[in-house]
Amino acid sequence: MIRGADQTAAASHLDLMIEMTGDFAQSQDVEATLRLGLARVAERLGAEAASLFLLEADSGDLVCHASIGPTEVIGLRLAPGRGIVWRTVDLDSPQLVKDARFDPDFANSVDNATGFVTRSILCAPMSFRGQKLGAIELFNKAGGGAFTQADAQLLRALAMSSALALINTRLAAGMAEQEGFRRELALASEIQRAMLPPPQPPGYPVHGLNLPARGVSGDFYEIVPLADGRIAFAIGDVSGKGINASLLMTKTASLFRCLAKREDGPGRVLAAIDSELQETGLAGMFVTMVAGILDPATGRVVLANAGHEPPLVRGQDGYRPIEDGMPPLGIDPELFAHGCLESVIELDGGALYLFTDGLTEVRTRSGAMLGADGAKGLLDAFAAMPAEERLQAVVGALDGVGSLRDDVTLMVVEDMRPGGRSAFVRRYDARPETLSDIRSDLSRTARELGCDADLVGDVVLAVDEACQNVIRHAYKGGEGDIVLHVEREDDLLVIRLMDFAPPVEVANIKPRSLDEIRPGGLGTHLMRSIMDQVDFLPPPAGIGNLLQMVKRIRP
Amino acid sequence: MNMTLSQQDGATVVTLAGEVDLSHSPTLRKALMELMFEKKPVVVVDLSAVEYIDSSGVAGLVEAYQSARKNATRFVLAAVSDPVRRVLQLARLDKVFAMADTVESALKG
Repeated sequence: MIRGADQTAAASHLDLMIEMTGDFAQSQDVEATLRLGLARVAERLGAEAASLFLLEADSGDLVCHASIGPTEVIGLRLAPGRGIVWRTVDLDSPQLVKDARFDPDFANSVDNATGFVTRSILCAPMSFRGQKLGAIELFNKAGGGAFTQADAQLLRALAMSSALALINTRLAAGMAEQEGFRRELALASEIQRAMLPPPQPPGYPVHGLNLPARGVSGDFYEIVPLADGRIAFAIGDVSGKGINASLLMTKTASLFRCLAKREDGPGRVLAAIDSELQETGLAGMFVTMVAGILDPATGRVVLANAGHEPPLVRGQDGYRPIEDGMPPLGIDPELFAHGCLESVIELDGGALYLFTDGLTEVRTRSGAMLGADGAKGLLDAFAAMPAEERLQAVVGALDGVGSLRDDVTLMVVEDMRPGGRSAFVRRYDARPETLSDIRSDLSRTARELGCDADLVGDVVLAVDEACQNVIRHAYKGGEGDIVLHVEREDDLLVIRLMDFAPPVEVANIKPRSLDEIRPGGLGTHLMRSIMDQVDFLPPPAGIGNLLQMVKRIRP
Repeated sequence: MNMTLSQQDGATVVTLAGEVDLSHSPTLRKALMELMFEKKPVVVVDLSAVEYIDSSGVAGLVEAYQSARKNATRFVLAAVSDPVRRVLQLARLDKVFAMADTVESALKG
């Protein structure tokens, strides 16, 4: 940059350059550092006064940021035009004016206003590799002489060094801002994760797992227990990545949590979410999502799919994809205006798997995607594990399989009923008026399963009594549902009654003493007299009561 | 459940038909207790057309039986159908109630 004899001059002032660069590196306050630097330069070059101007990005003006000497001109604004400072910046080279009176660009307005008499001027651009930042201007060489070419070269070097330091400082500030942004992002990601459902207890029929690839996620899953004992669930993926996608994901998940409790059925929930999302401009983003409701008492799932990967049902004969579906949410309000397709799936002792494309699009070591078949293989490999551990094992195995590029979210919905399959399952309102339906359904089923007329009559009585207990003692006359299962296991008729009332104290249920003739307390006695076994079992949904009654069918 | 009340030879005959379950037993209980309150001398319950009775229906009969004993009302179950007989057996009440094969024999005492 600096050659020949001037190099010696510059080198002799190397200490100053090092000091100034050090000032910039250590300082948090750029303005203070600029003032200090200007004072050092003015002293070293013997100037009576000095000003430092920086280009202001918004206005394009040169603005005075530091000033040394008898006149205070900080804040002085120079619009683009003539003047020594602008000439310096425009030409990007030092301007040495030995006698200001003879320079046509010299503006004497400051002199006139302050009484300062400008004799000579030395002005050097603060620029680096064509990036113009401003200029440093020195006035009046002390001792009466003019600034020299050597002074000009030195100032040029110092100004360039200041420019570089300033660029670095600005970069550092930008990085600090970015670092702050990264911290905010990490916080957002943490909050987002905290909004996912907590782990469910072992034995609960619905479990989910989310493994974010990095930062905030566009995936979500939800598990919402409903008041009637059914469980609403959803899995979704917002198109795109980053903050926008994650905000939309948060909104969609919140809408689901709220609407799942109000709307009747997953199709209506999806249609309602679509309608809400349409009201917010999505700017080309959309949501793929599956919503469902499991009735843990019957093993029946109602499912609605808006553009998401088809869920897989794992039954006795392998996997079956549920292909029915609608387009994604947030595309066009017309698409869901006339409702949303629902599918009904009997889990029949099996399981339903839902996942985002992060699972199927994991790259295996060979470079191919894992795909649905690969996913099935992984699920089967860990099939013997309880649901939650199974999901963790599958996601854990993905790390071994290949690289995780996208978030992975995986859910399982299982039929946790004891026995799994039933010859007959139906849900009834727990009211005295429905007892005759229960009796006629049970009579028909028991006959079909090979019970003779007397046995049918007895069993119907026992079940009717059990239902009465649910209506009168479990729900205490309030609203609720009863689910009836009937099945035959070898020569045993197995009947299960499920309710969703607060758990009953089993110890308080005793058959009455028959020596005492009085109304009431008779039902439990009838049940125990008729059935071979009457037991309360732990209910599958974790709430309510499950009563199992078993009767040997006479050959 | 269908229920009709009639007077025959100074006795009140309550004729029940159909299914006496939890949705109907309160009606039966109320009717029987009113008769007991009125201290009727003879109350015969014709059960020949009852296809089903549960513990709540049986409880109504037990409560009437207990009041009748206090009031010295003669309380008879007549023409008990098989389903009712089975429930009374299970409840071990078949030896407790006074029972007659027909309404006529019940009226004769």
